[in-house]
Amino acid sequence: MSKRALLPRWLTSEHPLPWLFPVTSLLIVFGLYPVLYSLWLSFYKRNPATRKEKFMPSWNWEKLISDERVWDAVQITFTYALLALAIQLILGLSIALLLDTDKKGFGVLRALMTLPLVVPPAVTGMMFLLMYDSSFGVISNSLYALNLLSPTAPILGTGSTALLGVIIADVWQWTPFMVLIMLAGLRALPKEPFEAASIDGATGFQSFIFLTLPMMSKIIALAVLIRGIDLFRIYDYVKVMTDSGPGTATETLTAYAGTVYFKSANFPYASTVALATLILVLVTASIFIKVFKVRF
Amino acid sequence: MSITAFKSIARYVVSIFVIGVFIFPIAWFALTSIKPISAVFNKDRVVVFDFKPTFENYKVTVLGAFKSDTQSNSTVLMGTSGKGAYDGRGAIMSSLIIAICSTFLATTISLLAAYALSRLSFRGAQGYMHWILSQRFLPPIAIIIPLVFIFRDLGLRDTHLGIIIAHTLINIPIALLILKSFFDDVPIEVDQAAMIDGATRFQCFYMVVLPMIKGGVAATAVLCFIFSWTEFLLSLFLTNSIRTVPVKITTFVTSTGSEWGYISALGTAAIIPGFIFILLVQNHLVRGLTMGAIKD
Repeated sequence: MSKRALLPRWLTSEHPLPWLFPVTSLLIVFGLYPVLYSLWLSFYKRNPATRKEKFMPSWNWEKLISDERVWDAVQITFTYALLALAIQLILGLSIALLLDTDKKGFGVLRALMTLPLVVPPAVTGMMFLLMYDSSFGVISNSLYALNLLSPTAPILGTGSTALLGVIIADVWQWTPFMVLIMLAGLRALPKEPFEAASIDGATGFQSFIFLTLPMMSKIIALAVLIRGIDLFRIYDYVKVMTDSGPGTATETLTAYAGTVYFKSANFPYASTVALATLILVLVTASIFIKVFKVRF
Repeated sequence: MSITAFKSIARYVVSIFVIGVFIFPIAWFALTSIKPISAVFNKDRVVVFDFKPTFENYKVTVLGAFKSDTQSNSTVLMGTSGKGAYDGRGAIMSSLIIAICSTFLATTISLLAAYALSRLSFRGAQGYMHWILSQRFLPPIAIIIPLVFIFRDLGLRDTHLGIIIAHTLINIPIALLILKSFFDDVPIEVDQAAMIDGATRFQCFYMVVLPMIKGGVAATAVLCFIFSWTEFLLSLFLTNSIRTVPVKITTFVTSTGSEWGYISALGTAAIIPGFIFILLVQNHLVRGLTMGAIKD
């Protein structure tokens, strides 16, 4: 204890500063600074002919508000996120209930269920492109055989089905995520309330509705939050599978920002659209966290 | 047959069917990778098993044989024919370097920060945690455009180091939150005992607490690796010539047709490391996916 201090206290391991310094500096330089840079960029108007940028703070934001493609994209983003989330949640919970048993062999099945999670999303997009292919795709051909699909209206080439086609890929990849979390939730449930309920004559369905669901509500909220945020910033599947098409039928907000960036090189406006995604995610997530009291 | 026995068998059958549905796309993809080109592109019917297996696709994409060497007698003409256009070796190397380095970097610096957040109480710790969490919710698209400019100015664009930094950045919030939850599991008395024996904070972290959470660190590293290995958007925007595997695969889709043989071969090869890793960390998977919010 009597050791003479060679360094000021804030440089020793007693102080949080040295511990937090690497993470904090990296996050500021490559995380916070780019967001501020984006904001600053969004205050400039780009002249496509001269490629010069002029400081006009409200130009891009006014353009954003009046841009119908943005509103379409917001609508598509919400449709995509909510539909995918609902399907994944219902499937995830059902499959978790199915696999939640100590019987022989189910451990292997649970492990196999996790495999889709490690497939790169770009590769997932490719897998489904292959199966959807209108001439030799196995899904398309099966649907032709069942008369559910016509070769003249390919899944991803038709405006009304393209978004669903992309959602199915997302559902395939991320339902296992829900299954795993729901399984953890089910395993952590206390046994006594269920025993009491069955003594009182409750059916399996009743104890699911009145016991399982309420006791799982915190975990369900958490899973919905994490998955929901990822869904709002969806990019990979759309980029690989449809590239926002046909037309703009599958253009989510992130995809639109990408399109503006790659196709028109209007960086200030692309930044504005990207920031709109950030605002949408932050607002939606904050409301959700407040309403459902999610804690980390 | 009794009802319980019937239920039990029904549960097995339904479970195996469900898992089968989730494994099918991967199996189909892997099967496509060993089909000869005539079986993949058969327009009359979907070829399932009646083909002669070939490893030509792997020879081209993973071993670097020239496309023309293996397809000289093929009648199907499509895709690009540039030398090495379908050689995935460079992409595999790049992906490996980037994933290993960014995993190491993210895990190491997150360990320090996570220890401080778990053990040293300081003002603003809660706020700091929220900032980290908000980084996890940040859509990559919101920082990507400025990052392109920043990287260009720093000479990091289209370099391995650039993507390593980008992936580290995205991995930090996840790694930090998971590691903090593992540190929180270790009783604070452990630290106190070590410090009474004369250990400094850093010695206490490095020699006492860190060995106690080895499993957690390994699980965190695996998740970081999988994330980096599968990441698409950042790699796509930040590189031109250096290609990670997911981006490389998407270049096999050309305006003259998609090289499904090569896509499925490189895609299947790209899935394998993730499969092995995820089976190794099954025990900590849920904690990892929920960033420490659910402890299993």
